[in-house]
Amino acid sequence: MDFLDTIKEKASSDGNADLNAFSQRGKKIIGYFCSYFPEEIIHAAGMIPYRMRATGKSDTTKGDIFFSSLNCTFVRRCFDKALNQHFDFLDGIIFLNGCDHTRRLYDNWRHADIKPDFRYMFVAPHKIGRLAEERFSEEMVNLKTAVENAFDLVITDDALRRSIHLYNKKRQLIAALYRERLKESVPIKGSELLSIMLTITMMPVEDAISLLETVIEKIDGRKTHKEGDLRVFMGGGCVEEIAHLELIESVGASIVADNLCLGYRHADMLCDESMDPFLSLARRYLNHFSCPRMMNDFRRRLDFLHTVKKEAAIDAFIFEKLKFCDLWGGEMYLCRQESRKHNYPILLLERELYGGSTGQIRTRIQAFFEQVRNQSYTPSELVVSAGNNYKAVMGGITREEKDHS
Amino acid sequence: MNKTKKTLKPFELLNYHMDLKIDILQFLFKFPRFLNGFLFFLRPIYLKKETAWNKRFRWLFLVLGAGKADTLELKAMSHALYAVTDNFFEVKAAKKNREKIVWVEWILNPEICEAFDLVSFNPEVLNVFANSKGMEYPPMIIEAAENQGTPIENCSAQKLAVGSLILEQIPKPSLILGGSHPCDTSISIYQTLEYLTGAPSYIMDFPYWKDEDSYRYYEKNTWELLSFLKKETGKDVDWDKLKTLLDRVNQINNYLREICEMSRAKPCPSSNSLLALAWAIREVNLRSPHMLSMVKAMHQLVRKRYEKGEGVVKKEKLRILLWFPPIPFFFYYFKWMEENFGAVIVADFIGYVSTVHIDTSSKETMIRDLAISQMHLAMGRQCHGPMEFITDEMLKLIDEYEPDCMIFSGHNGCKHGWAGLKIIQDICRGKDLPVLYLNLDIMDKRHTSEEEIKKQTITFFKSHGWA
Ligand code: SF4
Ligand code: SF4
Repeated sequence: MDFLDTIKEKASSDGNADLNAFSQRGKKIIGYFCSYFPEEIIHAAGMIPYRMRATGKSDTTKGDIFFSSLNCTFVRRCFDKALNQHFDFLDGIIFLNGCDHTRRLYDNWRHADIKPDFRYMFVAPHKIGRLAEERFSEEMVNLKTAVENAFDLVITDDALRRSIHLYNKKRQLIAALYRERLKESVPIKGSELLSIMLTITMMPVEDAISLLETVIEKIDGRKTHKEGDLRVFMGGGCVEEIAHLELIESVGASIVADNLCLGYRHADMLCDESMDPFLSLARRYLNHFSCPRMMNDFRRRLDFLHTVKKEAAIDAFIFEKLKFCDLWGGEMYLCRQESRKHNYPILLLERELYGGSTGQIRTRIQAFFEQVRNQSYTPSELVVSAGNNYKAVMGGITREEKDHS
Repeated sequence: MNKTKKTLKPFELLNYHMDLKIDILQFLFKFPRFLNGFLFFLRPIYLKKETAWNKRFRWLFLVLGAGKADTLELKAMSHALYAVTDNFFEVKAAKKNREKIVWVEWILNPEICEAFDLVSFNPEVLNVFANSKGMEYPPMIIEAAENQGTPIENCSAQKLAVGSLILEQIPKPSLILGGSHPCDTSISIYQTLEYLTGAPSYIMDFPYWKDEDSYRYYEKNTWELLSFLKKETGKDVDWDKLKTLLDRVNQINNYLREICEMSRAKPCPSSNSLLALAWAIREVNLRSPHMLSMVKAMHQLVRKRYEKGEGVVKKEKLRILLWFPPIPFFFYYFKWMEENFGAVIVADFIGYVSTVHIDTSSKETMIRDLAISQMHLAMGRQCHGPMEFITDEMLKLIDEYEPDCMIFSGHNGCKHGWAGLKIIQDICRGKDLPVLYLNLDIMDKRHTSEEEIKKQTITFFKSHGWA
C-alpha cells in the first residue's frame, strides 16, 4: 500500500485505534472544534489535542433528536457520534463559538450528559484588532487555568514556548506543502492533503511533524494531474470528505489552493516565539487567514482571491457550504459578487455532509468545468444544491451577458 | 428581481409613512373614540383576512386594535407613529442635505449617535413597517435579496435590509454600526452590507458570556466606537446630550420594567403586543422624546387596570408565554387570542425588559452602563451565548408569570434556537407545561400563513380543552 493510502485510511477513521493506544499509555486526549483553537495549550499540558470530526460510520438519527433539520449536517453527525459513544476515548472536550450550530454542541453535550466530564467553552472574538487580541489572550490564560484545574497539573511558560515552537514547525511544513501546490506540476492532490490534515490533527504534533517531513520527501518529483486539468481553488467550511474532493478531481481538476477549515488556515502565520506566549497565541490565531465568522476581515479574504488567482494560476473557484450554514452562505455571496466584478469563473455548491448525491454533484461540476473551458463563466444558477429542498435562484453571468458587457 | 423593481419606486415604502394619510391618522388619534368607532365599523371588511383591496390598510388597522383599543393604547400608538415618522423625516432631510446617516443594526440602540448629533437609521426597519403598505411587501423585499444571492437560510429580518438596499427603499449609509450578535445571520449580513455600500463599519463584538470580563470587553468596544465616530465624523462627543438621552432611557426602561412586573398579576392587565411594539420603536428611534411619551401612556393604562384588578380581557381564561420572536406580519396574533379565547400573552421574548440602570453621573459610568444595558436588550441577551441565556429566562418567566402554556414561535432564521429545541422541550415537559411548536418565518407569510398559524393555535387550544 502506498504511503499516502495508509494516511488516507487513517484519515477516514476517527482515529480510535491509535488514540486508544495512547490512552492506554496514560496520555490524555482532548477533543476540540474549530481552527481558532490553540492546540499548543493542550500539548503543553502533556495531552493530545484531537480535532473533532464526523468521519466514520454514523448518520444523524440520534443527533436529530437534539438538533433540528435546520441545523447543519456537520454538527448533527458529530453529535450522533457522541451519542453513539464514538468519542468515549476523549478525556475532555473543548467547544468554540465558531457558529450558531457548533456553539449549541456545548449545550446539548451537557444536556445529554455525554462523556467526557471536562467540557469547556473557549470563546473567540468575532473581529480582529487590538481589543480583540487583548481579550483573546485573556481567554487563552483562562483556558490554561481551566485545564490545569481540571487535570491537576501545571502548564509552565517554558512548556508552552516549546509547544509553540513545535506547532510553528508543523505550520512551516504544511506551508511548504502548500507552496509545492503552486508549481506547474502539482505533486500532491487536494484530496491527499485533506487526508494528511485529518490525520495530523489527531496525533501528537511530534508525530505530525515527522509524517509531514516524510510526505514532503516522498512527493518530490511527483505529478498528480492530467493534461488539461483545471487548477481549482476550493473554499468552504467543514469539508472533511476525502471522497468529495476526489470526485472533483476525477472530473478534471487539480485542487491547488483553498480556504477550508482543515486547510490553508493551518499553514498561515507563525506564532511570534519572542513575545509573551499567550499574546502570541492570541495574535496568531486571531489574525491567521480568517473564516467568515470574522466580521471585519472579509476584505482580506476577498483580496486573497485575487492574490491566489495569480500565484496559483487558478482557472476556477469552487465554493461550497453545508445547508443552513449562514456564515459560508454569506461568504459565497461576497465571493460571487467579487468574482463577478472580475469575471472569475465560480461555482457555488450547497450540499449535506456525507449526503451522497454524487451523481448530481459530478454532473454540476462537469458542466461548470465545461463552461470554464469554453470561457463561459458562472453557471446560470446562483447556488446549485445537491439534494432537494432548496430552490436554486437565477441570476448568474451567462455567456450572453458576458458578451454584452 | 426586475419585476419586483418595477413595482417599487425608490423610497416608496419610507415615503408611504411620510404623506398626508399619516397626518390624517395623527389627527384622528386626537379623537380616539371616533377612531375606535371607525375601525370597529369597518371590521367586517378587514378583520378576517387580507384581500387585494384591504391590503393597504388592514395591517395598520389591526395594529391599532381593530376598534377595541383603549384610549391610552391609541395615545401610545400615536407617539409610536411620531417616533417612527420623525426618524424617516430626519433621514430624508439628511439625505437631501448630504449629511451623514449612520446605520445602526437592530439590536444595537442608537444612543451613541445622539452624542455626536448624527442621524441614525435602522436598516431592518421595513421588517415591521413595510407591512403597513401591504403584507406582500416584506416577502417581495426578501425575494429581491435572495435573487441576488443572499443565502435563503439567513434570517428574513436581515435579508430585508439587503433587499431594501437593492430595491433602493432605504438611504445608503455613510457609516455602519454592526454587531456580532444575536446570531450568525447578523455576522454574515453585516459583512454583506459593508461590502455593498462601501461604508466604513464599526463592529461591536458581543461577548459570549455575561460576566465581569465580558462587560469590560463590551465597554471597551463602546469606547472604541466613540473613537471611530470621532475619526469618521470629525465631531466630538457631546456628553450633556448623551446624559440627557440616557436619563430618558432610564425612565423608559423603568416604565417598561414596571409594566412587565404588573403583567404578573392575575388577570394580566397588559397586552404584550404593546411591549413588543415598544421594542420595535426602540429599535427605530429610541432617541425620540415620543418614545418616552409612548411608554408613559402604556404605563398609565396598565397601572389603571392593575389598580382596579382588571385584566386586558374581561375574563382571562388562559395565560400564555410566547417564546421566541413575535410575528410582525401577524401582529394581531396577541389580540386575536385575547378576543377569541380570552387567552393573554403575559410575557414574551421581545417585550420582556431586563436592562440595567445607567448611572449618568460621569462619562465613565455612562459608557460602562450603556454597554452593559445594551448587552441586556431582548434578542441579543438571549440568543448570543449558552442555551441557559434562553432557558433560564424562560424558566424565570414560567415561575413568575404562571402561564398555562407556551407558544414557541420557531422562526426559521433562529437556527441556534432550533438547535436547542430538545432542551426547551425537556424543560417544559418537566414543568408539565403544554407547548405549541410553531414552525414559521416571522417576516415572511409565505412560509406559514396567518391562516395556518390560527389553525394550529385553535387545534392546540382544542386539544387541551381551551377552545
Ligand atoms: S458548516 Fe457552517 S453551520 Fe456547519 S459547523 Fe461549519 S460553520 Fe457551522
Ligand atoms: S430573529 Fe433570530 S435569526 Fe433573526 S436576527 Fe434575531 S436571533 Fe437572528
